Amino acid sequence: MMASPRITTPVTVIGGFLGAGKTTYLNHLLRNGPGRYAVLVNDFGAVNIDAGLIAKHDGETMTLTNGCVCCSIGSGFLDTLGRILDGGTRFDHIIIEASGVGDPWRIAEIALVEPSLRLNAVIVLADASRIGQLLAEQRVGDTVRGQFDRCNLILLNKIDLLDRATLDKARAELVALRPGVAIIETTAHTLPGLPDGISNPASRFAATDAADHECNFRRWAYRRDGVFDRDRLEAALGALPPQLLRLKGPCSVTEPAHPQLLQMVGRDWALTPVEPDSSNDNDILLVGIGTANLPPAATLDAILDAALIPPLTTTAELNRRAVTSNI
Amino acid sequence: MAQDTVVFSARKIVTMNASRPSATHVAVREGRIVAVGSQDEIASLGGGKVDDRFKDKVLLPGFVEGHSHIMEGMMWSLPYVGAFDRRSPEGKVVEGVPTIDTIVERLQHAEKAMTDPEAPLFAWGFDPLHIGSISLTRQDLDRVSTTRPIMVVHASFHISNVNTIVLQRAELDRTTNISGVVMGRDGEPSGEVQGIAARFRVFRVLGSNPLSGNLSVDDVNRYASSCCVQGVTTVTDLHNDLADQTIEVYRTASRRDDFSVRLVPAMASVSHSPDAGIAKIKALTATNNDKLHYGIVKLVVDGSIQGFTARLRWPGYHNGAQNGLWYIAPEELPGIVAAYHAAGIQMHIHTNGDEATEVAIEAVEAAQIATPKPDHRHTLQHCQMADAAQFKRMKALGICVNLFANHVYYWGDSHYDLTMGPERANRLDATGTALRTGVPFAIHSDAPVTPLSPLFTAWCAVNRVTSSGRVLGKDTEALTVQQALNAITVDAAYTLKLDHLVGSIETGKYADFVVLDADPLEVAPETIKDINIWGTVVGGIVREAPRA
Repeated sequence: MMASPRITTPVTVIGGFLGAGKTTYLNHLLRNGPGRYAVLVNDFGAVNIDAGLIAKHDGETMTLTNGCVCCSIGSGFLDTLGRILDGGTRFDHIIIEASGVGDPWRIAEIALVEPSLRLNAVIVLADASRIGQLLAEQRVGDTVRGQFDRCNLILLNKIDLLDRATLDKARAELVALRPGVAIIETTAHTLPGLPDGISNPASRFAATDAADHECNFRRWAYRRDGVFDRDRLEAALGALPPQLLRLKGPCSVTEPAHPQLLQMVGRDWALTPVEPDSSNDNDILLVGIGTANLPPAATLDAILDAALIPPLTTTAELNRRAVTSNI
Repeated sequence: MAQDTVVFSARKIVTMNASRPSATHVAVREGRIVAVGSQDEIASLGGGKVDDRFKDKVLLPGFVEGHSHIMEGMMWSLPYVGAFDRRSPEGKVVEGVPTIDTIVERLQHAEKAMTDPEAPLFAWGFDPLHIGSISLTRQDLDRVSTTRPIMVVHASFHISNVNTIVLQRAELDRTTNISGVVMGRDGEPSGEVQGIAARFRVFRVLGSNPLSGNLSVDDVNRYASSCCVQGVTTVTDLHNDLADQTIEVYRTASRRDDFSVRLVPAMASVSHSPDAGIAKIKALTATNNDKLHYGIVKLVVDGSIQGFTARLRWPGYHNGAQNGLWYIAPEELPGIVAAYHAAGIQMHIHTNGDEATEVAIEAVEAAQIATPKPDHRHTLQHCQMADAAQFKRMKALGICVNLFANHVYYWGDSHYDLTMGPERANRLDATGTALRTGVPFAIHSDAPVTPLSPLFTAWCAVNRVTSSGRVLGKDTEALTVQQALNAITVDAAYTLKLDHLVGSIETGKYADFVVLDADPLEVAPETIKDINIWGTVVGGIVREAPRA
């Protein structure tokens, strides 16, 4: 069945145990959101927004002057999210806070089955000063470990409280749990924006904000004329480094022949049929976003080039067929 | 004696007042008991109108259900497809449907009665554990309809089965890759859906969630009617957000003179921060009337044992399943408990597994040390796996417990085979241990999870027999009939801090009675669940139970 083209709203789920800094991060996103964000939070009382930025507050929903809204989940998460989807306001991003003992992936699955949504990322925060102890804790260790199972990005937070050796130890615990997962070290004052640069939401704020907002992330664009071999594409996507958080765009593959939209979040990817877009100069136009330590574009290009038919092997040919790899 | 006094005479009155265990006459004025005794003793008061309609009946204090939910009243608007017989609010015995074919037949019958071809058909009460772990598939439900959406909600309320049209509309197919959409052997979804994502999607295409709809006065009246059928005169609604609309419905329903039950709603702690929750409960308590008693809060610490979501201490689940889920983090619980405790609000804390029980005991202990409160009566709800050491700590801290006796019958076999193993299953819902350690306790149904029926609950605690006929720890944990009757009357009232008002037939309390055809203390203990309930008296007003 051919999927009808749909406008989808990206969803990011924010997880992490009590005290990891979720509320601070959500406050940061609400205040500095470059687009119109809908943010669903567990503890409305902990949201700390200057009165001057609040346009309306009706008990369950707070509307900010920057267009963002913050909704209390209370005990009716499904009803709250349903109200946002049916409310008639189109948001650039929906951000959902998982509970401190909740599994953020269970919430992220909503974006995989609700056609009006798509999953942008699962971000889990960890308090660097106590994550090692929590992971081993008898009562909550399994709960805490489970929160990282399917996340795309870990914010290793509160690093300003620690020396480098302790920090490295915390980092090693997380790497042992999720080898290769993207980790950004943060403090309450250096929290990143969302890795949502791809959709380039119609921001109501100046571009200068957007630059700050993305300083912790790097983009990578991959443009080629040609066709991917289906099997080799699978292998190539698996070979991309974990620092790449998302990859999205139109491409052509051998099977099926119809133009496809590739969407990858973390290790999960899918191809869905799309109408050919005559405004595209290239058969393949993939845009990725990763953490600041994303390997150089040439390294990433080479991984995907190996999936092209015929595979590109020489620099000359690369130069001939590559239009640009800068953005 | 004033002329508006009515003296009910009965074959026997079992008072549940230890100082005066039995009587034949009870005098009632202005909805309350003026005197209890023999005909001569009552006559000494002089006057009053004698009502002898119960001369062949046995009166007990109206039963107190310390843990049930208003959802019992909401579910009966939908067809019941559980394996066991169950009595409806109209007093009709709805036969259990213990096979896939009889389930489908009942749904076909319900489907034919529907007039709007687009309306979804919801049903409730199914549990595969009760029919030999056989699944209900979308193909089974397609035999009911291929065009009308159908959803069968399990007894646990956490899992559902839907037919193919629902899956198609929800666009859930063989490519769907989320944990809550179970695949069948053909690689397509089986129709079983669970978890937050699948439920969200399915409820969106169905257009509604029958479990979260607005409460109506009809629902509350159905609940009250079920209570009358089962002899219950005080009933809880033990987990409610208490939204404005619900508060208004409760206010309206409870103020009617003919409303036939005293309702005790517990605010769900999850719906409010402790500060806001405390303020709300205090404000609501100021609006209490004779039949509406706000004042308690419910905390849910873990999940269920048979769903493998309860938190267990080492060595965990008998079958090796991974440990369950925290709904409140162990390090967050003490703060919440301390706040409500310091505010003098009684807590009812759901803990199924023994690790959750341990965390709750620790939290109350810390709160008691910080702010000692005599007679707080915080009550652990379910508390199914607590061992003797935990009961002793509860005793030392003044904690009460409300044990889920019905579990012995409905899931005792699963606990023996899968979740807890023989030793721990034998002390499941340890009423005997509670007696030995002196922890005040009640027993409950958690309706609609299991049927509202205190006599059946008492029967479970007395006989400790599972649905397959296995007997679990009867020698060590069973109650006598007298002890079980205490646990569904005056001791259940104690856990709600209402035992000064209800729970026994004695001077000064509300005139709340259950009217029985036989005396539970005289019949064979294995037959107490079969005693016919004629009806109830609530505040002196007689109500014969409907019999459909």
